[in-house]
Amino acid sequence: MAIFADKNSRIVIQGITGREASMVTEHSIAYGTNILAGVTPGREGQSIHGVPVYDTLKRACQEKKLDTSIIYVPPAFAYDAVMEAIDNGIKLIVIVTERIPRHDVAKFLSAAEEANSVIVGPNSVGILNPEDRIKLGAIGGDRAERCFTPGEVGVISRSGGMTAECSWMVKRAGFGVTTSVSVGGDPLIGTPPKNILGMFERDPKTKAVVYWGEPGTNFEEDMADFVREGGFTKPLIAYIAGRFVEEMPEGTVFGHAASIIQGDTGKPSKKIARLRKAGCSVAENFNDIGDILKEVLVI
Amino acid sequence: MARLLENIGKSILRDNGIVTPDFKIAKNQEEAVVAADELGYPVVIKALVAVGKRGKAGAVKFARNSDEVRKIAKEILSMTVHNFPVELLLIERKVEISRELYVSITFDPLKMMPVVILTCEGGVEVEGIAKLEPEKVKKYHVNIREGLHLYKAKEMWSDLGLTGKSLMAAAGILHKAYLIFEKYDATIIEINPLAVGPQGEVVPVAILMGIDDDALFRQPVLSKKVIEGSDRAWRPLTALEKEMIAVDKAESYRGTARYTEMEGGNIGFLCGGGGGSLLMYDALSRFGSRPANYTEFGGNPTEDKVSGLVKGVLSKPGVKGFCMVTNITNNTQTDVVARGIIKAFTDLNVDRANFPIIVRLAGVNDVKASKLFSEAGIEYHGDDITMEDAARLMVDKMKKAYPEEES
Repeated sequence: MAIFADKNSRIVIQGITGREASMVTEHSIAYGTNILAGVTPGREGQSIHGVPVYDTLKRACQEKKLDTSIIYVPPAFAYDAVMEAIDNGIKLIVIVTERIPRHDVAKFLSAAEEANSVIVGPNSVGILNPEDRIKLGAIGGDRAERCFTPGEVGVISRSGGMTAECSWMVKRAGFGVTTSVSVGGDPLIGTPPKNILGMFERDPKTKAVVYWGEPGTNFEEDMADFVREGGFTKPLIAYIAGRFVEEMPEGTVFGHAASIIQGDTGKPSKKIARLRKAGCSVAENFNDIGDILKEVLVI
Repeated sequence: MARLLENIGKSILRDNGIVTPDFKIAKNQEEAVVAADELGYPVVIKALVAVGKRGKAGAVKFARNSDEVRKIAKEILSMTVHNFPVELLLIERKVEISRELYVSITFDPLKMMPVVILTCEGGVEVEGIAKLEPEKVKKYHVNIREGLHLYKAKEMWSDLGLTGKSLMAAAGILHKAYLIFEKYDATIIEINPLAVGPQGEVVPVAILMGIDDDALFRQPVLSKKVIEGSDRAWRPLTALEKEMIAVDKAESYRGTARYTEMEGGNIGFLCGGGGGSLLMYDALSRFGSRPANYTEFGGNPTEDKVSGLVKGVLSKPGVKGFCMVTNITNNTQTDVVARGIIKAFTDLNVDRANFPIIVRLAGVNDVKASKLFSEAGIEYHGDDITMEDAARLMVDKMKKAYPEEES
């Protein structure tokens, strides 16, 4: 089992003819992911690595009955593409695009909520389910096997790059992942980590979750409260990066746009204390994740 | 977020139908006196810097005559407010205040919606009031696809006890401020205080406005008025930081890079990935070293961009080693990054035998990257070690190379 996507997912890439999207299409197909269609207005009739391109998502949906979309559209046009996905009944929308204006993001998040569409991202590197060889987005690159092997650990990360690195740390410790999810590094995102914990709780195959956290937002505090209230009962192993940011003048941003401390909000030390109080393991060193996993996953 | 200077924020309010006190800008004592004479006394003199809490820092003062203006102007112009040296003054007619309100419009990152926060106890830090007397603070989440209705603005102020002329005026200002929030892609608009005068008239006295950097492409008027990259620095950008922004922009279509100069330190630090850079900076510090700069890139940069970044990283005085680490890349071509690094070292003619270098660069095309580094005589690591292992190796190398140095 996995969360978000499996063999039954019917996948389209919006903006498929772009340089990055075309490369991702090639890598995904090589990995075994079935990309059914692509959309780029004005390019219908072409194909990208064998995937047919349609002018509109409506046309693509008529032909292919799609339910999952990966958005690779440039920031200025992303709002329209996401609305197109929502209005055509796409249930899972993974937004890879970075630097989408915040007002646009807030608008399509509100529309998605009303339509019961789930958005992951923006600024997500994607979702990967190694058992079914489903790769949504650049995640895993041209050699997904290097970092992602099937197993029993769920991975949630606020950093795209560290989604792969965390999954690799899991593999290095002798385990594998059910699903790895990059939630996106922006301040406004569709699916906060807490919601994904809930999904992993319901997934019988997932025995533990590894989490990559950063300064800024209340995501980790919400996760801790969710664990304390019994919403997530499996072992949660977290690493919170960016402790040095607390020593810097308030409001300075390092790394992702969401990684900003304002007042007491967003301090790694507070997040770590809250998670520990809720009974989660927070690794002092990133290298410790493997050892902690070995401890908690002993049968 | 790009913060706008107060004069720009106030001009936006005026352009959109909100009356503010008349103001003038001055860059020295003489100009300040001329401005104050024209405006009429008493006046308020403020440091024109894009940071908040100026009052607390002593950078907002009142003057009753030209002698006082001269004295205060000199004083404020010699100040540095929260690391920003004062180069300009904003001078405006002092407003008669009988009551101070507070308005802010921003995004609530929890609900992912715009949120309006109001109180009739303005003039001070609103966080304090929200904690001590939460009933005096009104919070309202706006459905962004609907906007803020005027009636809602009236309801909120009325709930807080406003009535008559000031209710109508405050509601009008709030309603217009929300429209400005939308129109200019603002991330924050804070009016504090929003002053109520003796006749019930309502006037914004101080405004803080931030614009979404990612929306500047559709805000042509504003994009010329903000300093790019200013959201990532706690002080004015250094010359090298500005240079690095130019390196990044030269090839804006491939890869993004950010460079921040840290105080002191001796390791030139370059990292692939926003998350990985946080991990590495923590690890280098924890193991007892100090990076001299903080550079991160993502999204498959070109060889020229990487070499430009590396040159910048190495050019900061005091840099005596180089640590370059990425997480296992999803799409960044490590061989391209490798060529950029090697080019920079070759161009700068760095003595590689006596300059500690650690590279951990795993991911797409790393077999090629490994070969390039070994030919160039640079110690290379891929996924044979973890990122923290690389930090440890770097710190050990530095200690070995410079045993006498305290880090």
